[in-house]
Amino acid sequence: MRKPKRAYSPAVTMALFVTAVAMLLGSTISGTRAALTYYSDTYSSRLQMYDIGVTLMENGEAVSWRDYNSAGDGTWNENTGTLLEHMLPEGEELKPGKVYPEELKVVNTGTINQYVRVSICKYWLDAEGNKDSELSPELIGLETVNLGSDWIEDEEARTPERTVLYYNKLLHAQGEGRSETVPFAESLVINDSIAAKVTEKTEKNGSYTTITTTFDYDGAAFRIEVQVDAVQEHNAEDAALSAWGRRVRVQDGSLSLSD
Amino acid sequence: MEMKKRSCYPAALVLSAAVMIAGAGVGKAWAYFTTYTEAAGGYTVHLGDRTEITEEFTNWTKHVVITSEEDSEPVYIRVRAFCGSRYALQYSGEGWSQGADGYYYYGNAVSKGASTASLDLKINNIPEDPEELERFNVVVIYESAPVRYHEDGTPFGVHETDWSILLDNGRTESSGEAEGGGEG
Repeated sequence: MRKPKRAYSPAVTMALFVTAVAMLLGSTISGTRAALTYYSDTYSSRLQMYDIGVTLMENGEAVSWRDYNSAGDGTWNENTGTLLEHMLPEGEELKPGKVYPEELKVVNTGTINQYVRVSICKYWLDAEGNKDSELSPELIGLETVNLGSDWIEDEEARTPERTVLYYNKLLHAQGEGRSETVPFAESLVINDSIAAKVTEKTEKNGSYTTITTTFDYDGAAFRIEVQVDAVQEHNAEDAALSAWGRRVRVQDGSLSLSD
Repeated sequence: MEMKKRSCYPAALVLSAAVMIAGAGVGKAWAYFTTYTEAAGGYTVHLGDRTEITEEFTNWTKHVVITSEEDSEPVYIRVRAFCGSRYALQYSGEGWSQGADGYYYYGNAVSKGASTASLDLKINNIPEDPEELERFNVVVIYESAPVRYHEDGTPFGVHETDWSILLDNGRTESSGEAEGGGEG
């Protein structure tokens, strides 16, 4: 009697598996071949690069940026600059009460449209460079502008130190529409009431009392941090939730915050 | 037993192939283009007015000079002096002018390390006969106020300076007079 033939012999199974792997690899290779057919000595074709990039502008100058460069070696072209570097002329001391120009805005320096948000953090450092939470960040007056019309504040994220603003319009890629935001800040002033904040220390020594007055903000350094985040236009709601952890609603190129 | 073992083999291969194919799809579905950039900066604040008074006495005249120390912020200075009712004081000095409140104000801000011009307090009505002279003191008080700035960075003048501002030590309470903005 003949032995019944097995439905799947090991050799057949292995052959099928190898074929499946070859097909998977083959799909990648065919894609690569397809890309190569774009190139021609006679005809030029435009190759769309999907590079995202964003730049923070201060008083008209680019201060920090991070742009992807897929046409080159696929790395990030980035620079982290210093804010307020040119605020004071050489040798001049900071004058509490004086309003210094500090225009801040964002530019799309990539090749795809995007939505952006900015996070502003203000705080004080003590003489040793450590954060001093006893000193009030509210006395660091970074004057925000265009709120409501162009920038939306996320009030759920607001603290005395932090302000988070979302630009409610699509920021177009260079050459494809408006690629820079309107300013979200225009000036900086340190409240001059810091000159009257003191701590008194009283020491009794026999028949007399010594009162030592120390200015709370003397020797302290104010610090402002600004971070700009950008996500792609396509599937922006999901992208924002994934990258920022914030639900937003995008309708007809307009972004709003969801509860 | 051997037959049973072999039957699991193709199923495992099919499963691994399915995972590979599904895995390739998952990678595409979760990739978003995102980027960020940041910048930070700030400045150190130097506060506190530290001044010192120097008095010299010659020819029945007290010469008063106030010096701002090297680590002091710019200040305005005002001075007033008291002596017995029998003797009168006559003030003079370049840059000094009398205010409506009886203080003499130095018109220029005194920067760190700088000094006021001398304010001379001449004691009048001194009898020629020393026997007739009563014992008395001339007490000089002076106050300094840090220079404040307008929004455009120009300093407040000495007469724009609010001398009624109290230092806030967390316990200070403004009086009704202080809240009135110093109109008096």
